[in-house]
Order: sequence, then structure tokens, then C-alpha cells
Amino acid sequence: MSVIEATALPGRTRNALAWMRANPLIAAGGFMVLVIVVVAIFAPLIAPYPGDAGYATHPLDIFKPPSTKHLFGTDNVGRDIFSRVVYGTRVSPLIALAVVAIASVVGVTVGLVAGFLGGIVDEILMRITDVFLAVPALLLALAFASVLPQSTGSTILAITISWWPWYARLARGEAASVSRRRYVETGRVLGLSRLRLLTRHVLPNATTPVLVQASLDFGGVILTAAALSFLGLGAQDPTPDWGLMVNEGRSFFQTYWWAVTFPGAAILFSAAAFNLLGDGLRDRLDPRRVVGR
Amino acid sequence: MTRFLARRVVLSLVVVAGVVLLTFVIARIVPGDPATSWAGPHATAAEVAQARKHLGLNRPFIDQVGTYFRGIVVGRWGTSIHTHRPVLSDLKTVVPASLELVFAAILLAIAVGVPLGLLAARLRGRTTDHAVRAVAIVGVSMPIFWLALILQLVFFNQLHLLPVAGEYALRFQEHPVHAYTHFPVIDAALNGNWAMLGSSFSHLVLPACAVAAYPTGVIARMVRASVLDVAGETHVQMLRAFGFREGTIFNRFAMRLAWNPVAQVVALVFAYSLVNTFLVESIFDWPGLGSYAGESIIALDTPAIVGITLFVALVYVFVNLAVDLIQAALDPRIGLH
Amino acid sequence: MSVSARVFGVSAVGAALLLVAGLAGSGAARAAGGSTFVYDSYTQVMINWDPATAYDQEQVALENMYETLTRFNPVTQKLEPLLATSWKKSQGGKVWTFNLRHGVKFHTGRPFNAQAAKAALLRMQKLNQAAAYAWSAVKSITTPTPYTLVLHLAYPQPMDLVSSAQYSGYMYDTKAAGKEDLTKWFNAGHEAGTGPYELQTAAPGQEVELTLKQFPGYWGGWKGKHYSSLVYRIVRQDSTALQLAKSGQVSFVQQISPQLWATVKGSPGLSTPTGGSFENLLIYLNTASGPLQNKAVRQAISDAIDYQGIVTALKGAAVRQPGIIPTGLFGHSSTVPLHQTNVDKAKQLLAGAGFGPGKPKITLNVTYTQGDSNEQLISTLMKSNLAPLNIDLNVTALTTSTKYAKARSTSPADRQDITFIYWYPDYPDPATWFISLLHTQNPPSFNFAYYSNKALDKQIDSIERITASNPAQAQKVYRQMEMTVYNDVPIISLYTVEKQRIVLNSVGGYRDNPAYTDVVFVYQLHPKA
Repeated sequence: MSVIEATALPGRTRNALAWMRANPLIAAGGFMVLVIVVVAIFAPLIAPYPGDAGYATHPLDIFKPPSTKHLFGTDNVGRDIFSRVVYGTRVSPLIALAVVAIASVVGVTVGLVAGFLGGIVDEILMRITDVFLAVPALLLALAFASVLPQSTGSTILAITISWWPWYARLARGEAASVSRRRYVETGRVLGLSRLRLLTRHVLPNATTPVLVQASLDFGGVILTAAALSFLGLGAQDPTPDWGLMVNEGRSFFQTYWWAVTFPGAAILFSAAAFNLLGDGLRDRLDPRRVVGR
Repeated sequence: MTRFLARRVVLSLVVVAGVVLLTFVIARIVPGDPATSWAGPHATAAEVAQARKHLGLNRPFIDQVGTYFRGIVVGRWGTSIHTHRPVLSDLKTVVPASLELVFAAILLAIAVGVPLGLLAARLRGRTTDHAVRAVAIVGVSMPIFWLALILQLVFFNQLHLLPVAGEYALRFQEHPVHAYTHFPVIDAALNGNWAMLGSSFSHLVLPACAVAAYPTGVIARMVRASVLDVAGETHVQMLRAFGFREGTIFNRFAMRLAWNPVAQVVALVFAYSLVNTFLVESIFDWPGLGSYAGESIIALDTPAIVGITLFVALVYVFVNLAVDLIQAALDPRIGLH
Repeated sequence: MSVSARVFGVSAVGAALLLVAGLAGSGAARAAGGSTFVYDSYTQVMINWDPATAYDQEQVALENMYETLTRFNPVTQKLEPLLATSWKKSQGGKVWTFNLRHGVKFHTGRPFNAQAAKAALLRMQKLNQAAAYAWSAVKSITTPTPYTLVLHLAYPQPMDLVSSAQYSGYMYDTKAAGKEDLTKWFNAGHEAGTGPYELQTAAPGQEVELTLKQFPGYWGGWKGKHYSSLVYRIVRQDSTALQLAKSGQVSFVQQISPQLWATVKGSPGLSTPTGGSFENLLIYLNTASGPLQNKAVRQAISDAIDYQGIVTALKGAAVRQPGIIPTGLFGHSSTVPLHQTNVDKAKQLLAGAGFGPGKPKITLNVTYTQGDSNEQLISTLMKSNLAPLNIDLNVTALTTSTKYAKARSTSPADRQDITFIYWYPDYPDPATWFISLLHTQNPPSFNFAYYSNKALDKQIDSIERITASNPAQAQKVYRQMEMTVYNDVPIISLYTVEKQRIVLNSVGGYRDNPAYTDVVFVYQLHPKA
């Protein structure tokens, strides 16, 4: 028994290596996402100055360049940028999670109803999604965020409003194609309830594309949330939001380059991580879909 | 064919009407007190009362929507709070600068993205392919406001090469050129003002590069994917069976067929890039839609924000419609879908 | 070579060509400058276009379009003739006679004379805003000859000094609008001054907000070297302002973060003059509504702020001083206590009011001017100072006029709890801090603390007369008023501003005139090679 395991492990490792070589993007994306998750979980242990992600300020340590004491330097009120970047993994990735979760639930519900019922309901619901899709997501989110009170909740709401129609379209397409399949038609003829058909047959079929879309959307939502914060419509100081940190540092960036460079790089890293992963997943699970947003 | 066109146009009109309704919701329903939000924080009590009357807040809901629609159609888009001018004439002033920026960025994106996509498709699965896809993903994952700052840091601060702010050096304002297009680069060329051409060109390079990041990534991915898609289709495989060389198949047939989805994606990224200028213009002090939007946000200027939203949505719907119609005209099969 | 490789090659070459063309162009752009003076401001310049009621940042432009009767020279510390060529006082300072300059024209084409001056002053007095208080001693104005203006006063006032003030003393053509309403006409973006530069274009909300050009009919003439035009450019980002100055595209930077300013010293082509000022940064606490109505909460805030931290963070741009009247002005009293940081005392005060750690949270709305990196920095530091006391600040960056609009909102619920203002005297006299900021105002014009104290109002109403008749007594009253402010805390004076400018070396003849805050008199400058 133990002998078999001993020889099997290297084989598995070899397989894994071969797989990674064949799918370098998905492997890289997966690894980067793992880094983000680990950093987010262990932020208090990793960040040397956890207080700096909160209300602390240090007027005597303003704009200290990167050093062993402050890995990424300090900002315009003397906070350790490394600690803030580390804690930032708990801000925009979580916003993205909330947006994607809410948008997919709302969107999938609308889409399934439209696709399954068809007819006039379908037409109306799809025209509504057309309207939302006619306004670029960032702009629609910006317009809503500008009339809502400034808070993280508003940011999530504003982005969700501009994001759900994509899921509705997707789910509707799946539902429409599934509901025309023979076994569903048969089920209908046999008198199975619509709800049962929806949940038992249509929903499972829509799951894969929705999951792929959701993983692809993470990156986009992180960028949108960062853009809103950068425009001053998102999180409030002292939230260690990367977009906000770039916004606060931009007045000084040519002299104190570290104040924008590291938070911005964190946005790029996390958006790229999820995009790589999503892209790879789509290739493997749902090769028909070519382009995200 | 005609039916297809008619349906397409009618659907676009429905979407436009829906967008107007959506902006109505943003302007009149979401804010706590629409009259205060519409009249702006500068407003006196009398002005707020006037706004209340103008918006007809005491009238039935359907009436209000009707008045709002009529206003949009006849060009009464409200008055900007921070410029005290009609929003529509503000838009007329600022839009050309943004269009210039977006056109430049899209051209750049096509010039870089299309060859990259073709290269990746041709060398599918090899290191080059992976590298191109990685580059494309970095492009679509780029926080472009950050890219803009980094570009400034490198090209202005370190290399002292390119200017950082404005559409061209201020001195050219003293002797304005005749504005044929309101695009300084083109106007300067048409007027034969070479110094200004150089100046406006050098001012355009960095912001255009920043805005181009996203469309470059999208176009490269789209080109790669749709070429591979076409290359896998039956009739292309038949060509293979006829003994055409892979290169010939690729160059002669696949690329041509892949063109449609690429055109559509360009239309899509056009509108997205117009919004992305919001993040870049304020960094380069580019006097366009994005700077206007930025000022509107810090002035709590609801009419202006609503006007911007409506304008961009109209552009988007129109560009999409135009692409569809052109494609339908060029490729009769489309109408059959 | 495949098509894709060819396409790639062609576009690579194209991109390279574009870049080269761009670089060549930037070389040409470098040589900019010409004879345009570019004034860089971090916030909008024109807030109120009416010269009779303007009371803000717009004086930096107005002083180049309009003129006053006299002007204060900071070097000689004396008043110099401007639209008045000479003046004298009689009857113990109760009658002032100004002899006006001949041959002066308004930009509208009409001549400037005693009648025109009287009309401008009367309208200013009637509107009774801005620094009109300084003219309140004037009972009547007569014009015995077309070029003689006589002011008759109720009590002695230094009217030669008052007429040099940076607000309310402008001479403008009251007939400029014809039959239209003059205030509306001004605020539609017009001017009607006599100054060396006249308005060419105005674009509110845009980066190049104002362009002024030489007024050909200017009485001073245009012999010698002068700037041919004057541009006011709004640059909200300090980093951009710095880049523009370094590349010679702005001539003068009004204010920049001290952190950046310190790095400019010694840059080729730039000079970094500094100067003291009578300008201080004040924090308003909303005494009329919200949690700050409670005096104990206001006192707690004044005890919780880390003043030393703020001054340290502002690296030499800030000097702490007791009271709200800056050192060097009449009325300043060094015996007024300085607000000190005392967190324990703050906690006690809050506990007494039912707030503080473990008790209900206080959330305060703070507004500041977008683009002012110092106000942003201070907001962040204050937020940090107050968090341990269970007080949260909700900070919003707004344009200047939106910030004011919010502060002047008719509904008290829409007003902020805390905001900032820079204040400086209209002419070297301290009364403005009390008259403009602390006197009961309904509706509020600049009293954004919404402070109303009958006893203080009474003292304010009489302070000008007392100053004229009995300076020693006035000094005492000022100290009493300072103590009221110290104890009641409607306003906290954070620091007095040390001006840190950036000026191009190609600007000839630049000198800061602290009597005219942030103003550059461009007519007095000349472009150097």
C-alpha cells in the first residue's frame, strides 16, 4: 500500500507539472489568486503595521522611501504602504465577490425566467437588459454612485446594477436552448411543474457558463471598483482601498513615486490574476465563448 | 434583409428610449430630493422651487416622464451646475477632444492588437501564443489611471521626453487655427501649422497609449479567437483537404472571415474607451469629456452627469447599429441569422 | 514571410514613426513661453464676477482687470497713487478728498471720473457685502469737480488705506450693462474695469478658465516690456502643476504641497520665493445644528487635534499662532492661549456630554476644497486624531463654489459639520475676522460656523469706532473677543500660512505683495529671454 503511494506521488506531481506546462495561463492565474487569498486571510500576520490600515497616522514619518522598515515606503500621512496594500486584499476582492454573487443571482433568475417562459415576457426582459448593456458598465456605475451616498455599500450596489444584465443574457440563452431540448419538452408534456423543470434541468445546464463568466468578471469588477475610488466615488479614507490610495498619492507621485506605484500594481496583479484564471477556465469548460467584456 | 434592418433600427430606438428612462431614474428617483439635486447646491430657495416646478414633481409620474422625454428630444438637457451653461453645448465643447483621444487610441490598439492576435493564432499553443495572451490579459487588467501616471513618471520625469498636460502648448491658443474638425492634430495639419501639429501630436502620445491598453488587449484576444474559430470551420477544413498550404488558408481565407467579429468588438471598445478617458483625462489635463465628468462629480452636478451618461449611451447604440448595418450590407448572410 | 508578420512589421514601423513625430513635437513645445503669463491656481478663480461683492479667490484676476484709488507698496510700507493721484484728509480724518487721474477709460469705452467713482462706491455700499463694512463710516460722497471725489465720514477712518483694499474698493463702470441687471451681466462672465488687462475669454469649469489681453487704452501705456496676455489655468493636481512649472508652461504656481515645493528648490529655471502672510487656515465647527451644537463636543475636538503633527506634516508652510488675528496685525494678542492637544481632557469633555469610547458614535460631515492637498492632509490627520474618541469624519472633496453652496444651503440639515477656510484681511486691519466670520449672519455669507452670540455681535458692531477713537481700548476689546472664540470654539485657527511659490526665472520683476493675497500684478512684470 505504502509502496504504491510512494511511487504514485511523483507521478502525480509529474502530471501536474505537465498540465501546468500545457496551461501556463490558468496555472499562473490560479497561483496568483491563491496568493491573494492567503494574503487576505493572514493579513494581520503579514502586515508589519496593522494599525496603518486603519486610523493611525504618523506625521513624523511622511513620505519615507521604501526601506527594510517600510517595504513600500510611507504615504502623505506617514502610513506604511506595504501594510495598507496587504490589507487592501480584504477590500476590492471582497467588493468583487459581493458584486459577482448578487449580480449572478439576480441576473440568472431574470434570464431563466425569460428563457423558459419565452414570448412577451422574454422580449420585455431582454429589451430591459439591452438598455442596461447600452451604457458602459463603468459609466452606469459612476452615474449611480454619484447620486448615492458615498459608502462601500453604494459602490457594490452601483456596480451590481451595471453588471447583472450580462448574467441575464447568458442564463436566458442557456435556458432557451435547454427548454427546447427533447427531454424538457417531454417533461412539459408529462406535466412536470415549471419550477421543477427550471431547477432540475435548466439551472444545472446554465451553471457552468455562469461560473465561467463570474470568474472572468472578477477582474473587471475589481477594475471598476478601483476606478470609482480613484474618481472619489468609492471607499473613504482610511479604508486601504488600492484605487483610493492611488488617488491620494497622485498629487505627489513624481517625487514620491512609491505612493501610487505599489497600490496600482496591486490592482493590476489582482485583476490579472482573476482574468488569467477566468480565461483559462473558459478555454477548458466553455470554449464557445470568446470574449468577455 | 429589409426586415432585418427595420427590426434592428426599431430595436435601437427602443433601447434609446429605455436609456432615457434609465437616466430619468438616476436624475429624479434615486436622489433624496430631486429638485435640490437638479438645481445644484448653489441654488437659493427660490431656485429650488423653480426647479421643482420645472421638473413637475407634483404632477403625475407619467407626466413627468413625458416632459423629460420631450426635453431630451428637443435638446433641453438641463443646465450644468458648474458651468452655468446648457449641458448640450458643454458636451459640444468637450466631446471633440475626447473623440480625438479615443480615435488615436483605437488606431493604436488596432495597429498593435491585430498583428498580435494573428501571430498568436498562427502559432497556437506555442510560447509566442502564451506570451501574446498574457500581454492581452495584462492589457485588459490594467488600471489605466495608474498606467497613465506611470507613463508620465517614465516619459516626463525620467526621460524628459513628452509633455504632460493639455492638448497642445498653450501658446498656440494665441493664434488659433481654423477648426475644420476640432481635432487639433488634424486641424493643425490642414492649416499647415507644423509647429502646432508637432505640439498636439506630442501631447496626444501618452494619453492615447494609456487609453489604448484595454482595446489592445480585447482586440488581440478577439482576433486570435475568431481566426481560430474560422480556421476550424468545415469549409476551411475542406480547403485543407484540397491541399492548400496552411499559410495560404490562413492569410487568404481565415483572416477575411474573422473580420466581422473583430469589427463588432471595435465598436464595443469604442464606447468603453470613451468612458475610460474619464480616468485618464484629468491626469493629462486633457480638456475633454472625462475632465468635464470629473469636474461634474466634485461639483455634485447631476444634470451634467446625466447628460454625459445619455450621450455616451447614444454614441454606443449608434456605433453598434452602424456596424451592424455596414456588415449586413457587405455580407448578405447576416440578415439570415 | 506571412501576412501576419508583415502586418506586424508595418504597424511596428508606423508606431515608431508616430513616436518620433511626437518627440520632435515635444521639442517644439519645450520652447513655449512667449509673452503670456500663466497663473496656476489649484482651484477655480472666478466665483463671483461682481467687483462690488466679490470676496474670494477671484481677486487674483480682478486686480489685473480693475483698479482701486490707491495701492499699498509692501517695500516702502506706503500707499501709492493709482486711480487717485493725490489725497488729503481734513477735519481730523472725517473728510477725505481724492484727486482722480485724468484720461482713464473703462474697458467699456466710457471715461472714468468722479461721477463714475461715486456711482461704483454707492452701489457697493448699497449691496453691503464683502468688505463694505470698511466703508460704513462714509455718510455721503460729493463730486465738487469732475475729477475730485470727497468722502464725508461719520467717524474718522483711514480711507486712503481702505481704498487700497483688495476687496470692495474696485472702480467699475456701473453703466456697463445698459438696461440689463448689472449683477447678472457681470456673472454672465463680463467685466468693466480700468485695469491694464481686459477679459478675452472665460470658460467656467474648464482648465484654462480665463484669458486676459492687454487693454490698448490703458492709462499707463504699453511702452517697454510687458506680458501681452494673461492666462489663469486651473490645475487640480499638485504633481501636474509641478510638471507644468518644470517644463515652463506655467509662470507662477500659487500654492503647492510643501512636500513637493521642498523638492523644487534649486531646480534650473525656477525660483521658490517664500513670504510670511496675514492669512490663516481656520476650521469652522457647526454651532447651529448637529452634534457640534454642544459646546463640550467642540471643545473636545479642539483638544483632540494634534496641532504639532499638522505643522510638522506641512513642513514650513504653517506657523502656529495664538488667536485668530495673525501676529503683526493690530489687535493680535500674544496672551490669548494657544489650543493645546490634550486627549484625556477631550475624553472627559466627551464623557460629560454622553459621547466618547464605548458610547454612541459621532459622525461628522467634513468638506474641503478639491485640489488643496493641505486641506486633504489635515482632514486625514484629524480623522486619525478623532477616531480614538469614537468620532468619525465623513470627508468630501468639493469645488470651492459647491463647498460654499453646501455651507449656505437653506436647509440646515444639508450643511456640513466641519469645513475649512483661508482668511486674510482686506486691508491691514483685523476687524474682518469677526465681522465676516463670527457676526450673526442670516443667511450665512461666510459665517459657516453659524455662530450667533449677541454679546459678541455688540462688540463687533462698535469695534471700528473704538479703534478710531481709542486704540488702547480697542486692543482690549479684541482680546476679549478672542477669548470668547477660544472658549466657545466656533472656529479653530490651525496655523498662519507661510507662502511657498514657484516662479519661472523668465519672469522679470516678481515680488510678492502680502497686502494683496496671491495676486500677481502682471503689468509690473516683464518677460525675460
